[in-house]
Amino acid sequence: MTLRPMLLALAAAALALAPAGYGQSSIEGRVELPKPLHAPVMNKRYGIVAYGGVLSPYPPVAVVYLEGSFPRAPTLPTGRMAQKDLAFVPAILPVQVGTRVEFPNLDDTYHNIFSYSPAKRFDLGRYRRDETPVPSEVFDVAGMVTLRCDIHEHMRAIILVLDTPHFVLTDTEGRYSLQGLPGGRFVLKAWLDSRTTLSRAVDLAPGGVLRADFP
Amino acid sequence: MMLVVSVVAVSTLLFTQRNLSARVRLDFESELQVEVSALHALQQFRDAALAERCRILADKPRIHAALEDGALDLLYPSAHDELRGMMEVEDGAGPGPGSLGADFYRFLDPRGGVIDPAGSPGVGRLEPSQESQLVLPRLPESPQTGYIVRGAGSPSETVDEVIAMPIVSTEDGETISAIVLGFAPPGLGVEAEGARVQNGIWTGGRLVLPGLPAAARAQASSEIARAIGHPDGDHGSLEFRYSGSPYLLFFKRLNPGSLYPAAYEVSVHPLAEALSGQRQLIWEFAGAGALALLAAFIASEVISRRLSEPVEKLVIDSRESRENWERAEAALETTSRELQRSARFSADASHQLKTPVTVLRSGLEELLAGETLSPEAREEVSRLVHQTFRLASVIEDLLLLSRMDAGRLKIQFSRLDLSLLLGSLVDDLSAMPDSRGLQVETDVPATLWVTGERRYTELILQNLLENARKYNEPGGRIRLAARAEGGWAVVTIGNTGTAIAPESHALIFERFHRGAVGENVPGHGIGLNLARELARVHGGDLRLARSEAGWTEFELRLRLADEAP
Repeated sequence: MTLRPMLLALAAAALALAPAGYGQSSIEGRVELPKPLHAPVMNKRYGIVAYGGVLSPYPPVAVVYLEGSFPRAPTLPTGRMAQKDLAFVPAILPVQVGTRVEFPNLDDTYHNIFSYSPAKRFDLGRYRRDETPVPSEVFDVAGMVTLRCDIHEHMRAIILVLDTPHFVLTDTEGRYSLQGLPGGRFVLKAWLDSRTTLSRAVDLAPGGVLRADFP
Repeated sequence: MMLVVSVVAVSTLLFTQRNLSARVRLDFESELQVEVSALHALQQFRDAALAERCRILADKPRIHAALEDGALDLLYPSAHDELRGMMEVEDGAGPGPGSLGADFYRFLDPRGGVIDPAGSPGVGRLEPSQESQLVLPRLPESPQTGYIVRGAGSPSETVDEVIAMPIVSTEDGETISAIVLGFAPPGLGVEAEGARVQNGIWTGGRLVLPGLPAAARAQASSEIARAIGHPDGDHGSLEFRYSGSPYLLFFKRLNPGSLYPAAYEVSVHPLAEALSGQRQLIWEFAGAGALALLAAFIASEVISRRLSEPVEKLVIDSRESRENWERAEAALETTSRELQRSARFSADASHQLKTPVTVLRSGLEELLAGETLSPEAREEVSRLVHQTFRLASVIEDLLLLSRMDAGRLKIQFSRLDLSLLLGSLVDDLSAMPDSRGLQVETDVPATLWVTGERRYTELILQNLLENARKYNEPGGRIRLAARAEGGWAVVTIGNTGTAIAPESHALIFERFHRGAVGENVPGHGIGLNLARELARVHGGDLRLARSEAGWTEFELRLRLADEAP
């Protein structure tokens, strides 16, 4: 076959043209998560709980992301936040600026998703399970967007709109791994709740693996 | 001797007269108080309904989102959507008094000041002076009731009741705002000309009482201000004179413990009529006294010759008459207490018993739904469930009665085919499981049009048929006849069974009266009273036609309607 060596050659050429070391570095580490409250205080259905004026994911998880200026992908994958059993699933969703997020209703009752947050105000109106096309919104301003349901006052979710393609959710132990990063000096951040975002500077060697823990 | 007789006679007369005046006055006051407390009960019920509506609003996600997610510009527009059903007339004169619709709404900021609606539509117009009355010294932790005067000094001066409902953050449990809704209060300015009691509201040194002339209002107002200065000034009564006429005034704090300025419900009653009645009584007494005195003089002249015997007799006579008088007094007192008690009972019981009965029933039904009950217990519980339905129907009846007592029952008159109605009721009667082989005879024309409201007319007939069945004997007879006579439809309902004792004939229409029928006949002594009251508000009447020798017959008269169109 003559096609295969040719493709390999093309791939090698593409890599050579890309910015130095792009997509080869990675960061791994652990974020010290706040201890989960024994019982969600304001929000009966966990996902997002409110306590002392702070909205945080429950059980606690963090969003780790790399700040910097990165080339923008021509197309972004569509995000998805469903409503199931009178709760948002997932309740915390990090997306890159410009991402479209769909909000399918998987319950047998009406929902009415809306947000009054400065980063994105919208109101999807009432809709049911079989609504087509699935109601969606494009999130084009960075910031934290609080979602609510007009019918079910306990429902709450957060969409974290980030101006970076490099972000990841930790597991419930706080462990994370960011792959495919370019080399260089950046700021690495960990969002813990509506009031707490930790940050640290990182110096990524091309192709290297960095260990970065918070705090 | 003559002197002794005169002194005894005059002092007896004076004592009796004073006693009578005091009694008349006391009786009159307690009657007024019954009216005032009935109005108050209505007010409390309405306030509870309004507070509940406000509480629901304060929980709305959009209102929370606007306050918690930093979108104050969306606060009033969001509330506008939520309040659409409540703000019946946008920026207009607002809904009528007594309605549950709101006149206006505003939000308070964390310091208790009004958040500017900034031209948002549909929030209800308020002058700056009115809006400033909504301000609170701090955000409340519980609902606060206040009263604000609108159009002060103008002929259309009125008072709005406001409820400030705290909005508690879902994020930190702190009070972050309050929604203040304004409602037209009930019973203000709706009295007909010449009504016995005029109702108004006193707040901030102003008495708003459209039925009273301005100068009389000002005077009453300063009297109230003085009276409420006392430590126990939450309620009370006072008398004042205006252009020679005396008035009796009751006041009662409407918003005890509120952060808003104190407001009082005020009822004013002109005493002129009552006083003239009292004066007439005094004159009659004086006349009678003079005659008695004259008679005593003559008698004493005649019998003074026979020394002390007649004097003793006179003393005995006056003692007897005093005993009679005291007996009459005691009876009057009992009646007046009874009246108050039953009015209060009807008003309170209806509202306060309904909820527990519903709770009771659902609890029992839940118990029944479980698997744990033995068959005996299950039977007992279902019997109890059945009892709750009876209890609920008693409460319904009481509610209806108390509405009639308060003159608040409005009949929606329409044309009804009485024959058709009677036919279906007889069908229902035959379907009753315990009709004990009763024979039902009917003598009803093919059609008979009357005028009335269907459900109440049906209720009257149902009650009568129910009695005819209940108080019947096994294998007995019920006879139902109807005919047109003059402008009336005359319905007679007769039944076999023990006749009502003649001494009870006058009592059977009394509320809570039950004949000597024994406890095995279900009932609560409201049915006949309710049926008669309903017949009367329909312009008709209900009476006992006869009850003798094993046959009891009631006669119901309803107004005939024109022939079928």
